[in-house]
Amino acid sequence: MLDFLVGRFNQILFSGWQHFSLVVQCLILATILAVIIAALVYRSKALISAANSVSAVGLTIPSFALIGLLIAPFGFGVLPAVIVVAFFATLPILRNAVVGLSGINPATVEAARGIGMSRFRTLMQVELPMAWPVILAGVRVSAQMVMGVAAVAAYALGPGLGGFIFSGLSRLGGANSLESVVTGVVGVIILALILDLLLIGLGRLTIPRGIRV
Amino acid sequence: MSESSKAASSPSTSANGITGASILLDKVTKRYPGQATPAVDGLTMEIPAGKMVMFVGPSGCGKTTTLKMINRLIEPTEGKIILNGDDVTAMDGDKLRRKMGYVIQAGGLFPHMTVATNIAIVPKMLGWDKARIAARVDELLELVSLDPGVYRDRFPKELSGGQQQRVGVARALAADPPVLLMDEPFGAVDPITRLRLQDELINIQAELQKTIVCVTHDFDEAVKLGDWIAVFNEGAQLVQYDTPERILADPADDFVENFIGSGAGLKQLTLTRVSEVGLAEAIVAHPGDSASSVMSRVNAAGHGHAVIVDERSRPISWLSRRQLSRLDVIGSTTDPKLPVVGNRATLNDALDTMLVSSAGAALVTGRRDVFEGVIDVKTVMDAITAAHEAAALESDDAPVGLNTGTMQRVSQPAADGGAAAGTEVDAGTEVDAGNEATVMAAATHEQAAE
Amino acid sequence: MSAALNESALTQSETGDAGDEAAGPIRTAAYAGGLWRSWRGLVYQLVGIAAVLFGLIIWLANTGLSATELTTLAPAALWGYTVEHLQLTLVAAVIVLVVAIPLGVALTRKRLRFLSAPVLIVANIGQAAPAIGLVVLLAFWLGFGFWAAIVSLVLYAILPVLRNTMVGLQQVDQRLVEAGRGMGMSAAAVLFKVELPLAVPVMLSGIRTALVLLVGTAALATFINGGGLGILITTGVNLKLTSVLITGSVLVALLALFIDWFGRVVEHLARPKGL
Ligand SMILES: Nc1ncnc2c1ncn2[C@@H]1O[C@H](COP(=O)(O)OP(=O)(O)O)[C@@H](O)[C@H]1O
Ligand SMILES: [Mg+2]
Repeated sequence: MLDFLVGRFNQILFSGWQHFSLVVQCLILATILAVIIAALVYRSKALISAANSVSAVGLTIPSFALIGLLIAPFGFGVLPAVIVVAFFATLPILRNAVVGLSGINPATVEAARGIGMSRFRTLMQVELPMAWPVILAGVRVSAQMVMGVAAVAAYALGPGLGGFIFSGLSRLGGANSLESVVTGVVGVIILALILDLLLIGLGRLTIPRGIRV
Repeated sequence: MSESSKAASSPSTSANGITGASILLDKVTKRYPGQATPAVDGLTMEIPAGKMVMFVGPSGCGKTTTLKMINRLIEPTEGKIILNGDDVTAMDGDKLRRKMGYVIQAGGLFPHMTVATNIAIVPKMLGWDKARIAARVDELLELVSLDPGVYRDRFPKELSGGQQQRVGVARALAADPPVLLMDEPFGAVDPITRLRLQDELINIQAELQKTIVCVTHDFDEAVKLGDWIAVFNEGAQLVQYDTPERILADPADDFVENFIGSGAGLKQLTLTRVSEVGLAEAIVAHPGDSASSVMSRVNAAGHGHAVIVDERSRPISWLSRRQLSRLDVIGSTTDPKLPVVGNRATLNDALDTMLVSSAGAALVTGRRDVFEGVIDVKTVMDAITAAHEAAALESDDAPVGLNTGTMQRVSQPAADGGAAAGTEVDAGTEVDAGNEATVMAAATHEQAAE
Repeated sequence: MSAALNESALTQSETGDAGDEAAGPIRTAAYAGGLWRSWRGLVYQLVGIAAVLFGLIIWLANTGLSATELTTLAPAALWGYTVEHLQLTLVAAVIVLVVAIPLGVALTRKRLRFLSAPVLIVANIGQAAPAIGLVVLLAFWLGFGFWAAIVSLVLYAILPVLRNTMVGLQQVDQRLVEAGRGMGMSAAAVLFKVELPLAVPVMLSGIRTALVLLVGTAALATFINGGGLGILITTGVNLKLTSVLITGSVLVALLALFIDWFGRVVEHLARPKGL
């Protein structure tokens, strides 16, 4: 095991970094997308329930099935991996963003409007900051989930640690196959924990002290 | 209320109709793990059968702990619980609790069961048959003023807070337990509903005569409901254990006095009914009588007014001498502002009516609104004086209540009355024994609660 | 590996702390509306599943399929894979229930309560392991086949049921428990007549989450010869048979949605009245 780790240290580090960066980039994209969509729907009950249905149905679809579907039009490579990871990253954030924005006390919004803030300014300066803890919690859920999704996405020859799992599988019984799988699994767990800690830290930095729980 | 307080003061009636059981807490101590001071410290307390005993005291003083030790939801660290003379400290807790109704704030109804199912729980556990349970459920719903046909199959969320509380009481009474334990039962309902529920509880208790132990933080509620009130201080120190009358008339110390709050005198007025005081007589006349003959009767009696009653003896007007002197014949007009109180009203209500009446007094009516007499401020004052005197003498049947942990004797005034001397001596021996027990028990292993 | 997010995630997010397992009650947001509204949602879901299935069949019928594709996609073969997939899912689900519910009950009893936090922490970290990695790792240990797949599925789906059983029981109002004990119900009677019925909605939502996770993860069983619909996806990829790939993917997705639908129906019917 140790030999395996030492021998492929650079490769592991590189794959780990790629995995991490795929997830983080997709999370950023997903957060932006989810918040924009949520900001568009959160004032209407019908749209809220539509958005909730979309995230519920989307989250029911197995990631492996979606990868299969995306391989058909896009072939192998980074693109289907990014799409799958970003898709699944968006859903929990969207759900939480909708909950967060629609859960704000209307009196607070009214107060903001009452002192002459525009709709947009109210959204940016009052509603989003208040909903941020909930949104960020959604990001944490997403992060843990898509770490694993990114591993399956390696089936479509996407980047990341999933490659170790699939290559171990394909050489099953061969030299270093177990080591390869263990590296992939443990690597993903470690990355998930690191990212979670980073997100907790982000929360500390960005959640206004007045609404910290 | 008057039934029960009369019963309290005259032991001769206490043998009749009582379905309750007596409870004795015998040097009961509760130490929670990890707490330096006991939550309840060597409490010895007698709860007479068929009476309603109210526990009052500041928050966190150990009322709930004491209450829950009675049904052993909380196991006492030391001491014994005696129910009707039997030591139940070691009996199966679940069986014990089936013999004691338990009511908590907001009723504690199970939201996934209908009203009927909620009430049926204990009878079912006791193995009653279906027909008997169904009949009992309806009977209990009637008892707590809920129409069985309407409410039987509702779920708790489909009831108002007051109705939930009523069902909670019905559920506690389901298997006709001799003892009812209530922990701030009316704490979660609005003040108006609370008053109604209190009145209903008084009526139910008058009918059933259970032994009821009720925790409250509302002293007025304790005065209104209690036959006996136990005032606790920190560590369940029993500061005073006496009738509402005596606690109001003669608070044991500053703590109790502060706890009673202002207006102790006025609160006392709520304890006496108009029917319990002597009424003044009045000159009675009927419509059609000659005014001058009525006037001469009024003068002869030295009164200022004459009461005019109709053919069924119901008062219709109250005429002063001046009014009489202007009339030839007494008329049959009804005075809508006549100051009338029923004889079931409290002295407080009567005083209220008197103060707004021009005569400075009020007419008292009895059954079917028949005129009974006049009540005035002097009558009220006499009643208060009498109550004070009675309160001073009334201690001979006071139940025992003391803390052996600190050897603090409650109800000190008992020493005044000669009849109470025996009690005092008994209490003294108890204290010694309790002391010893405490020393011995201190060495014993502490049980983890529940 | 299923991307299904369990319901508890939402609640955790609402409380703003995904690490706090004792978070408040978990309720499916979809149930906020009236009875009709939620039934209507269920009808739509079923209609949607049927429509996509119908569309798939039409598409397959109108695409020129090669001989290999025709044999792979023969109705009997498809049905066989589906049955295998359901077997994987249901056998694993039964084992999960038998393990996780008693464990959840035990960990919420007074005596064992101190263990509940450590157990949940371990389970949470385990959940961060990628499902595909778990499946393959267990195959190293247990060999290929159905039962190796079952073990990894069970490991993967225990957490939602365990967590929701615990949260469901913890959120029961302690005063109701005490009211029950105060009436003379035994601890067991209170558990079965009060605590568990009141925890049912939360527990069911955890079970549905687990089922959906299982359907998705069962698609990976094919990598270790565990059977199931996943074989269509791998065959489609390996032999470059697009129609097989798409059919496999769509069927797995539809099966997951159907199981989700089924779970929601059960939740509706089993929810105690009066809540
Ligand atoms: N389960 C418990 N564990 C530890 N301490 C308790 C427990 N229940 C009550 N206490 C403590 O015992 C004291 C009395 O509490 P309680 O009987 O509930 O008071 P009350 O009902 O008069 O407000 C308080 O100081 C409280 O903190
Ligand atoms: Mg209390």
